Amino acid sequence: MRSEKEIREYLTGIAFVLPAIIFLILFIAYPIIQSLALSFFKWRGVGPWKFVGFYNYIRMFTRDRYFFRALKNTILFTILMMSGEMTLGFIYAVLIDLGIRGWKAYRFIFFLPVTLSQVAISLLWVKIFQQEGLVNVFLGVLHLEQFQQIWLGDAKFAMWCLIFVAWWQWGGWHMVFFLAGMQAIDPQIYEQAKIDGASTLRRVFSITIPLLKNVWFILVVLCLINGFKMFDLVYVMTTGGPASATEVLGTQIYQHAFDVHKYGYASVLAVIMVTASLIITIFYVRVSGYRQEVLGE
Amino acid sequence: MRKFKRNDLGGLFSNTVIEAALLLWVIVQMYPIFWLFMSSFKPSNLVRARIFDLPKSFYFANYNFAKFNEEGITILIYLKNSAIVTGVSLVILMITSVLAAYGIAKLKVPGKNILIVILLALIGVPVHALMIPIFYFFVRLDMINSYWSLIFPYVAFNIPFAVVVLQTFFRQFPNELIEAAKIDGCGNLRTFFSVVIPVSLGAIFSVLVVCFLAIWNEFLFSLVMMRNNEVKTLPVGLMGFKGRYIVEWGPMMAALVIAIIPTIVFYIIFNRSLLKGISAGAIKG
Repeated sequence: MRSEKEIREYLTGIAFVLPAIIFLILFIAYPIIQSLALSFFKWRGVGPWKFVGFYNYIRMFTRDRYFFRALKNTILFTILMMSGEMTLGFIYAVLIDLGIRGWKAYRFIFFLPVTLSQVAISLLWVKIFQQEGLVNVFLGVLHLEQFQQIWLGDAKFAMWCLIFVAWWQWGGWHMVFFLAGMQAIDPQIYEQAKIDGASTLRRVFSITIPLLKNVWFILVVLCLINGFKMFDLVYVMTTGGPASATEVLGTQIYQHAFDVHKYGYASVLAVIMVTASLIITIFYVRVSGYRQEVLGE
Repeated sequence: MRKFKRNDLGGLFSNTVIEAALLLWVIVQMYPIFWLFMSSFKPSNLVRARIFDLPKSFYFANYNFAKFNEEGITILIYLKNSAIVTGVSLVILMITSVLAAYGIAKLKVPGKNILIVILLALIGVPVHALMIPIFYFFVRLDMINSYWSLIFPYVAFNIPFAVVVLQTFFRQFPNELIEAAKIDGCGNLRTFFSVVIPVSLGAIFSVLVVCFLAIWNEFLFSLVMMRNNEVKTLPVGLMGFKGRYIVEWGPMMAALVIAIIPTIVFYIIFNRSLLKGISAGAIKG
């Protein structure tokens, strides 16, 4: 038998947690289930849902070349953005952690773009890459007219332009994680290596990089997850073009749903994205022991 | 923050070379933003014809947003909408998250371990995959174009991160303090508000700052939910400049400046809390 006091304690606990849970159920859990359900139906926004079984899935996997293009681009974007951002962030962090002159200013400057609206940043870079924009004018000043391009209008360059903007904007975000990890490294390890005659570069490669393996790991996981979420940058700068050279899953789902109103078909993409990110997250939580850390066990 | 000065750069090329390279990169990093501010004070024709020149005098006409009202771009209204949506979302978000985090960390909650695992898993869910059901949820309630159709999802999307970070913090909160308050006759709520909250303001604030940026800058849901010009938030409103006003660079630059100024000011003031909050979700401490 539970005592009245114990029941009261449980009720208090539930009362504290309940508002948050209601939000999660209404706006995350229920939509996930509904997306899953809707992916087996045909629905154009009005009228009843029409059950079509696996038709949407079969069509997407066998006949939709835009889907494969978007999937390929999403993976490419994710990998290329991640490697550049992480490299930049790591270099920033190493230099700042070494106490380079003016490190506070550098830390401030490198993180600044992270705080800015992605839409505003993208619109700004559209102007920079435009035909008579900064990049082309600058090339003209250097008498490199032969390299002038309509950067975002050319399928060869558009993707790299977006990737560059991402490097520019997100390097500082990675820097913050690396810096937090570097602060947890015992300075004595460096001192010892110094006494043993290891150069700074050597210390970076054989102490800093391996000891930060948890940080590398979580950044890769976060980048993979964020890769699926990619939307703002593409939608604003190229809307997936030219000739769907920069189409990603995020822009595809928007297009299927809100441009052509094929909600069932769009839901297939939603299911794929949610499933993939859940697999990545659960993998991470299991492998990293993050759960134990959070639970304080 | 710990002092960084623990090492010289010796052996990693020379200091001068590194500092010069870094400085060069800082210019690349900062120039677009500098150019944006500079161009916003130049007449449109000069923005393009004299693209690198500093403005000869401050041309404030670009900031006269009233001029664009009849063309359907109402920057000040977007600014107001962003402020309302972000403000209300943050208030609701912080109340629900702080309560839930404390409940999970210190109170008896049935199934709390499963709850934490679910929260962790939900941090990674690409919420924009969920926009179709959420859109129709609000269509059925006839609440499209209502601030609430953004506020409720924004609160929900940020709860997993906020609760996970805050509950890690509350867990380290000394039980003795809570017990002492109880012995003094405080109930759970009293203890929570007069003992726990005041000590935890720093951590709560770090989370608040991170969520502020996420909500203020959110684009996709706002694009889907806010169809009327009167209720658009800034990121969606700015899209009005895409395609149109190709000739009018000046006013567009001014609008972009207005869009990023709040977060820059915010960053300058709350720099330290923000950097702490960003990494708090991933790395303990």
